[in-house]
Amino acid sequence: MLERSHVQSSGFANLGPEGARTGFRVRFRQPNYRGTRVSLMEGIDVVVDGERFPAEQNRYLIAGREYAYAELDGLTELRWPVGTAIDILVEKPGGLEPGVHLVETVLRYRHPYFPPRFRPIPVQDSRHATIIF
Amino acid sequence: MSGSFQYGVSLYSYTDDIGTVMGLEEAFYHAGDTGSTGIEILGEAHVEHYPEPNAAWLDRWFALVEQYKLQPTNFASWVDTHIQRDRNLTAEEGAAQLALDLNLASKLGFKFLRPKFGVIDDELTPHPIWEGAVERVLDLATRLDVIIIPEIHAPTPIRHPVVEGYVDFIQRTGTKHFGLLIDTGIFQDRPLPYWQHETPEMRKEAMSFLDGINVPVEQLAEVIEYTPFIQAKFHHIDEQLHDHNIPWERVVPALKSLGYTGYLSSEYEGVRDPWVAIEQVRRHHALIRKLEREYDQAAVQPEMDNHHA
Repeated sequence: MLERSHVQSSGFANLGPEGARTGFRVRFRQPNYRGTRVSLMEGIDVVVDGERFPAEQNRYLIAGREYAYAELDGLTELRWPVGTAIDILVEKPGGLEPGVHLVETVLRYRHPYFPPRFRPIPVQDSRHATIIF
Repeated sequence: MSGSFQYGVSLYSYTDDIGTVMGLEEAFYHAGDTGSTGIEILGEAHVEHYPEPNAAWLDRWFALVEQYKLQPTNFASWVDTHIQRDRNLTAEEGAAQLALDLNLASKLGFKFLRPKFGVIDDELTPHPIWEGAVERVLDLATRLDVIIIPEIHAPTPIRHPVVEGYVDFIQRTGTKHFGLLIDTGIFQDRPLPYWQHETPEMRKEAMSFLDGINVPVEQLAEVIEYTPFIQAKFHHIDEQLHDHNIPWERVVPALKSLGYTGYLSSEYEGVRDPWVAIEQVRRHHALIRKLEREYDQAAVQPEMDNHHA
């Protein structure tokens, strides 16, 4: 089972070899009450200790495959179920310092049954999470 | 004395618990312990590997239904009309989605399918493909004997073109396999607390329906013949069994007087802290059962008085 917060403790880690980190990943729980076609998810912004990593520049690891932001809109048949997580892959040469970070996220959801002016709707979360090494 | 309501629970009630602190079996356990006979699910939330559950999951599903004596009632689905940023589903594609969900719902033993269509305005007018999509699957719904029931949900009241459109469709086609799901949120007469990130300005402008659209319960009479299922939406019930938003003391007698004997499927939509929903659903059942009992007793009492006179 996953943690209640959107950002998960386990899975928050640097990417790339030690000494030559290329970025970090954020493991992120499906925050909606229903699973959804990935095409309804218009990307996720990540802010770590105030530094912003916009959705458009992040990559998304979903069901074992990596996708660029621009590919999300075409994924009408790929589904992201309730009770599962995806990884947001963030480019940041050097990665994050080991220790506790404030991680804020904004997912933009396009719910077709919401009035057009609320499409997409931003879904926010924030918490402290720890990079071990 | 008229017939009784049937009582059920929608697993939507346990949103955020399911997948973090609760699995499907625990959800069945909690729903079953309310004394319910029916269970309502969301297809794309509670069916593992939706839309193609594997054999092991299907076995588990039927075992749970049997063990907890819960009859599958309503299967909630979505027709995601605004499927891509710049593309909407065609009526054919909408029909294909409905057919997929009708078949899956029927396979799992459900009697009702609630499709949530995408909308085109603030009043939740469904995307115009709804009619062509539904018409294309009416034969299938008839063959499977599953009734398609879009929901009437705040801010859409009973007296509204959306409802008229659905009723016209029923009258034009003569179908017995399309009807209305009434969500009791339309009777809400006191405001909801602000949701996270909601500001007073937002409430005043776009979200005023969250203060309650307060549809008179008497108007149920105008649509009850088309309403085979009721989603008993509620938000908070306190320790005195007092509901802070929905006037059950008027809703229950109105339904009783109209002879409604379908399901009241509890749908808790409130604070999402872990495990709160379990207790809230129990309070809801205690409250609506108490009100039904009181109605029945009040109806019996004059008969007895007459008998002794």
